[in-house]
Amino acid sequence: MEATVAFRRREPPKLVTVITVVHLIEMTVATLLMAFVVLPMIFHFSLLSSQFWQIYGRFYVTGLFGTFFYVAVTLPLSVVLGFFMGWARVSRIRIFSWPASLYVNVFRGLPPLILVIFASLFGTSLVPQPILDRFFAGFRRGDIAVGIAAIAIGMHSSAYQAEIFRAGFQSVPKGQVDAAQALGLRPWQGMRHVVLPQTFRLSLPPLGNEFAVLIKDTSILAGIAGTELVAKSRDLLGILPANGLPIVWIFAVWTVVAFTYFVLTYSVTRGLRLLEQKFHTPGLEAISL
Amino acid sequence: MADWIRFLRERWQYFDAALALALIVGALVYIYDLLVGSRGLDVAYITRNYTLYLHAVLTNVYATTIAFLAGLAIGFSVGWLRTARTASLAKFAGSMRVEKRERQEDASGSESARRLMVVLSLLWFGTKYVIRRIGDGFVEIIRGTPLYVQILFASSYFIIFLPQYASEGILIGIIALAINTGGYQAEIFRAGLQTVHSGQIEAARAIGFSRLKAMRYVVLPQALRLIIPPLTNEYIGLFKASTFLFVLGVQDEISYLAQHEGFAGDVFEIFAIVTVIFLGITVTLSFVVQAFERRFRIPGLGIEQVTLPRGVRIARAGG
Amino acid sequence: MIRVEEIEKHFGALHVLRGITFHVEKGEAIVIIGPSGSGKSTLLRCINLLVEPDSGKIFIDGVHVNHHGIRHEWVRQQVGMVFQSFNLFTHLTAIENVTLGLTRVKSMPRDQAIEKARRLLARVGLAAKENAYPAELSGGQQQRVAIARALAMDPKAMLFDEPTSALDPEYIREVLDVMTALAREGMTMIVVTHEMGFASNAASRILFMDAGKIVEEGSAEQIFHHPKEERTRSFVSKILR
Repeated sequence: MEATVAFRRREPPKLVTVITVVHLIEMTVATLLMAFVVLPMIFHFSLLSSQFWQIYGRFYVTGLFGTFFYVAVTLPLSVVLGFFMGWARVSRIRIFSWPASLYVNVFRGLPPLILVIFASLFGTSLVPQPILDRFFAGFRRGDIAVGIAAIAIGMHSSAYQAEIFRAGFQSVPKGQVDAAQALGLRPWQGMRHVVLPQTFRLSLPPLGNEFAVLIKDTSILAGIAGTELVAKSRDLLGILPANGLPIVWIFAVWTVVAFTYFVLTYSVTRGLRLLEQKFHTPGLEAISL
Repeated sequence: MADWIRFLRERWQYFDAALALALIVGALVYIYDLLVGSRGLDVAYITRNYTLYLHAVLTNVYATTIAFLAGLAIGFSVGWLRTARTASLAKFAGSMRVEKRERQEDASGSESARRLMVVLSLLWFGTKYVIRRIGDGFVEIIRGTPLYVQILFASSYFIIFLPQYASEGILIGIIALAINTGGYQAEIFRAGLQTVHSGQIEAARAIGFSRLKAMRYVVLPQALRLIIPPLTNEYIGLFKASTFLFVLGVQDEISYLAQHEGFAGDVFEIFAIVTVIFLGITVTLSFVVQAFERRFRIPGLGIEQVTLPRGVRIARAGG
Repeated sequence: MIRVEEIEKHFGALHVLRGITFHVEKGEAIVIIGPSGSGKSTLLRCINLLVEPDSGKIFIDGVHVNHHGIRHEWVRQQVGMVFQSFNLFTHLTAIENVTLGLTRVKSMPRDQAIEKARRLLARVGLAAKENAYPAELSGGQQQRVAIARALAMDPKAMLFDEPTSALDPEYIREVLDVMTALAREGMTMIVVTHEMGFASNAASRILFMDAGKIVEEGSAEQIFHHPKEERTRSFVSKILR
């Protein structure tokens, strides 16, 4: 396309502004203060202690990978589920909208912990035996239960995402669907070229927050002995007294864990804002539910 | 033949609804069968023990309420702190430049006094800024870390520094929940106070209200109506989060049962009772909250609140 | 060219169209006027099958189109529509709005489509704005893009559903100019509007609709100055101040 145009596209809003830089500086300062001033003072402990990391390191890395694994598996699942549930919710076909509404209300109304407990107790009974035998023959029952619990967390998140997507769908003015039809576009074409691009752009901002929640919810798996950050850190606490190590180390552990989660959630929300900016078009502002 | 098709097409709505219903009922029956099935529902167990579990869940309500009220205090103070007005760096530099020019024109007046004023205002703004940012940081941390981690942090604190209370699961839980909800409420209060801050105080002062009167008659009433809806939602969210108390072994009944009777066989019934009671309370609360909201909402004015789980309550000031 | 016979439409208990019959010759520009709720928009939407009439027949170029054998998409390519609320696709630029139908419905290759879109945007006076998003355009500009978008499909006839009703007064002129030029060039048009100036200038015939029926039809001179029916007279007197 030649650019003999007198009108220029407006630049997308900058990702890195002065405020962001100031925030980052503040956060670094705060972290350093916490690590090297507060912790040593109150708990007589320094994060630089290599002994600490020698022992905790193992647990931390295993746990972190576990958390990454759960997030990597449940996040895409929750988005797909959430998207289709949201779509079904706005459908006029009741075979789709009613079950979807039930799903959304059930999984939103129940706290994730209850879902996790339910999954761990009854999850394996719900999966048909032939599937278990075929795909998961080698796994222990407990591990399968944890996997199902992870999926349950994903389903909980998907219920909220369904609402986000639903609002996204409903925010696309109906008139544009009429216009698409009037042009001769077939229904699926209208979906693909008119509705979905806008739904996607509109849903991005709230989705970022929802992902952050999902990451935090994976910590619930620690309650049923899943392999993730919080569980592994708790295991460390078990061996501390046994080996005569200062029990104050607990705080260092939890501080590191909290910091990790903070970094994870912060990066996810910021990262999605990047995506937002990449796809930004004037006129499509964030939706309010 | 065509008549048949037309008949179906016209009645499509009813078929649709009937099929949808059938689908849902079928799925539920299938799940029930899988879980309970041949065993049969142990109704006797339910009738015998439901008061036990009712009491257990009511403990949650009790804990939630206390934590919420504590959180109210925390949230209000932190939220209020976060509305401390700090001039932006640019404005400050600007006023500095004005100052400098004035100084050059008017040679009289004590130089050191002026320098003192500059230093003092720097300190004042600086302190306000730091306090505000600490408040922001507190909220960001609470929102950015899982509740579970916060609970574990709290219980570690008790185990080490206050071992005499370490066994009081409910105390630890309430404190952790209070701080948690405090963080989220701080966000609500901040948005509520800021929404009103903008033009209203100036307008009130212009009419002749003193700062205090403006607060009392203009800001507070509006702020109240802005924050009550999201606060009530926060209460429900907190109640749902209070399920973590189970993890802390707060419900003695359940621990007792776990130890003595074991869970074999009746797990589903126990789970069902607890879930049903829990849902019942949640639904009731929702109705109460809706009635509350209707009474307090000002149409067209409100804090846009994204209805996401407690993990991400974003209160944005909206008008 | 377009013939409508005894169209009936109910929305639930509401009897919106009660036996509408009229025809439009090729090259004619007819204007439909009437109070709100008279069914004008519904009638328009029946012609391109956005709304299915309960009974009656619609013929476009001799083809009976509200027949179960005819694909709706085909009908809509014969007849273009311009809406009161423009309905431009918010996520696409002006030129992308125009090329969407060309590339996806008519399967035109991309560069050809862009060429054609550019010509059409120039024709409505918006060549310079081809990369603008709808949110960056004024109401009048948006509506003109919408007209270009509809024209891109080379329709045999154009339907306009109150095209200037949502516009600020300063933008109405530019849209009406485009429509008048279109009528002069011989496009078959059915326009629902309250703009009497346009009706007098460009319409070959005016239809007055009320409560789902065509009450009177005639030339602008007849309808505005010598209305035969009482209802026509009272309506016209209310709008011609």
